[in-house]
Amino acid sequence: MLKDRIDILLGVLLLICAAAAVALLTGQGSQASQSNMAVDKALERDIAYQAKVSFLERLYAPVSELQQAEKLETALLKLDELSRHYPDEAHGELLRGEILLQMQAVPKAIEHLARAVRMSGDYVDQNSPLSRRSMINQLVDVQLPKLKAAATQQTTGRLQATLKDLYYLQGRLAGGCE
Amino acid sequence: MRQALRDPHTWLVMLAGGLLGVCGVWLAVLGNPQNSGICVSCFLENSAGALGLHDNPRMQYLRPELIGFVLGSSLAALGFREFSSKGGSAPLPRLLSGVFLIVGCSVFIGCPIKLFLRLAAGDWTALPGLFGLVVGVWLGLKGLAVGVHLGNAKKEPGGSGYWTPLLFVLLLGFLLLRPGFVLFSERGSAAEAAPVMIALGIGLLLGALAQRTRFCITGGLRDLFVMGLRAQLFWGFLIFIVIALAGSLLSGSFTPGFYGQPGAHLDMLWSFLGMLLVGSISVLIGGCPFRQLVKAGEGDADAGLVVIGMLLGAGLVQSWQLAGTAAGVPLYGKVAVLAGLAFFLLNLLLFRERTVA
Repeated sequence: MLKDRIDILLGVLLLICAAAAVALLTGQGSQASQSNMAVDKALERDIAYQAKVSFLERLYAPVSELQQAEKLETALLKLDELSRHYPDEAHGELLRGEILLQMQAVPKAIEHLARAVRMSGDYVDQNSPLSRRSMINQLVDVQLPKLKAAATQQTTGRLQATLKDLYYLQGRLAGGCE
Repeated sequence: MRQALRDPHTWLVMLAGGLLGVCGVWLAVLGNPQNSGICVSCFLENSAGALGLHDNPRMQYLRPELIGFVLGSSLAALGFREFSSKGGSAPLPRLLSGVFLIVGCSVFIGCPIKLFLRLAAGDWTALPGLFGLVVGVWLGLKGLAVGVHLGNAKKEPGGSGYWTPLLFVLLLGFLLLRPGFVLFSERGSAAEAAPVMIALGIGLLLGALAQRTRFCITGGLRDLFVMGLRAQLFWGFLIFIVIALAGSLLSGSFTPGFYGQPGAHLDMLWSFLGMLLVGSISVLIGGCPFRQLVKAGEGDADAGLVVIGMLLGAGLVQSWQLAGTAAGVPLYGKVAVLAGLAFFLLNLLLFRERTVA
């Protein structure tokens, strides 16, 4: 490979470049800036996510309080009010689904929960602070056999749509690369 | 058939297929996403995210298996003195082919390896994808039969074939040293991963075996069309399916049905067309996405360009939200598949060697 003086010169220059890069990477100053960079990036991401989570909690706190006090219809009205400012927002859809489930309006609840999961996978993610995985899992386990049985006896468009949403939730709970 | 089975190379191909089946199931058991123990397109989408080529925070991880495939192939090629730097055959169409390969895969949700892993786990929504892949390979072969040829690669005395392996050495460095600019998801499917060293080891082993055997999913189908049961690759391909099915049954991940499958959708037409695109382009450029990685590892700079195109495509399908999800295939994903089919047809027109009467 190194056949003449030009080859040797190029080889030496290559070695100098490599040595300089190693020195930069292992030098004290660069180590500090490198780790700062890593911390900054990870921190930035964590802060943004935590900020989103706490903003959602704060935004929907009145709804959650009404929900816990079992004033479900008032909670829905409050959600309507909030959704005028933030239409098609995933967490609002999720809360609407939860409230409707508490009110035993199961098909409507499934529709809103599926819509929430379509907008944000965090709700079926075990590691997310927003996770509602166990609630959704339980819903699918209980409702799917019932709806399947109902679908064998009658096939209305509404029933089919609810079943489709349930299958969607079941698929998301099963995992996969998405 | 008997002649093929008498050849020791056939048994090596079958070993490669068998190990791919075992590892495909095992990696999912070890922590990779369900039915995605091995998926070149998903891994590329994760890796593109890790390198900052898209901003989906649930799809960012430098998958060690991918690095292993390329470097395992390089080590095997160097060890057996088969490393040969070559290139120069239609570089830009190959780069774009890489982009459209990932468009097809992402609309289907998976590469051809994952197609069979999904089927082996009882995911019947992958069936249209299988039909699409078979039709695509057949169309690609028809294209070759009417004289379409991207041109011969030339042996390059310089070292352009070294660049793809070197790029993956750099990615290995990123994986091990984790510099601040490389992103790793903490939630979502990219946070689901087998232990790094095991995944890397499996990648190296499969990459080396695939280099020795030229294992390729679309190649197996292509050879079946051309040579029938004498095709060695077909036997490896068959063993891969059988072992993956056995692995799914043994690991308890076999759940047959159309509904509730992980990482699957019910847009059957687009699953069919997505895989048709992958099959047809793969035949034209000489191998499925996995084979392109292995070829790039053994010094094929043309395959290296396909790999770069795939990485670029992986970033684009996430950034432009072209990829299929459990909710279905987005409008622009469908448009992208049609653009890919137009690209394939245009290449047939442009690269056909016509005989003048």
